[in-house]
Amino acid sequence: MWVYEKKLEYPANVCKPDVKMAKFLIAQYGGPDGELAAALRYQTQRYTMPTGQAKGTLTDISTEEFAHLEIIATMVFKLLKGVPVEELKREGLGEQYTEHDRALFYSDTTGMLWTAAYIQAKGDVIADLHEDMAAEEKARATYEHLINLTDDPCVKDTLRFLREREIVHFQRFGETLDLVQEHLRSKKIF
Amino acid sequence: MYDYNNLYIQTYDMSQKGLAEAYIPMQRYVSSYPPEQGLKRGTIFPELDKPYMEEKVRGY
Repeated sequence: MWVYEKKLEYPANVCKPDVKMAKFLIAQYGGPDGELAAALRYQTQRYTMPTGQAKGTLTDISTEEFAHLEIIATMVFKLLKGVPVEELKREGLGEQYTEHDRALFYSDTTGMLWTAAYIQAKGDVIADLHEDMAAEEKARATYEHLINLTDDPCVKDTLRFLREREIVHFQRFGETLDLVQEHLRSKKIF
Repeated sequence: MYDYNNLYIQTYDMSQKGLAEAYIPMQRYVSSYPPEQGLKRGTIFPELDKPYMEEKVRGY
């Protein structure tokens, strides 16, 4: 069960509309290494985690990824606000507009729809935690590419926050892996 | 500049770690930023605060 707070984890300011950047940012919405994939991956993997600590960490991080999804959505929405259809078409969002107008939808930056094939739940804690750590690094790399793609200081600021969260999550998954390895060792001994 | 090798030995008992096992050093509390700065940085822990230097700044 969740308690919803009607505010963002971090401000999602944009200095001015920017159709191209909106298109790029969608990568972190419905792309393979985006926030939706992260949130749903951890959410479903948590059931087969062997310890309470691991379950708790996956639940917490999954929850935060949903908060990040909301931040990305807000930024994309603001970047497209008030942009005339001609400009959407010119800047490469004509296809997006055809199906969704200015609505947010779960696809990557090329329009490829989100799919559960992006994620895995192996039922093997070692395999799952390695995937989770890799996911954090891939998301960090994507944020770095996005930071390089924009000159908007407001967008950059939010992207830097989100990137740093990936680093913190990587650390937490790494610690979880260590604790789980310890747990598995102790089961072999006793 | 960190001496990563030294940091590793100081903090961890290597004998516990086998081959073909990945692991990340367990974070130990050192210090924290004030809440306001923690939110701004994306972490309250200075030792986890690893800002990105963008391509334009580093030149490649």
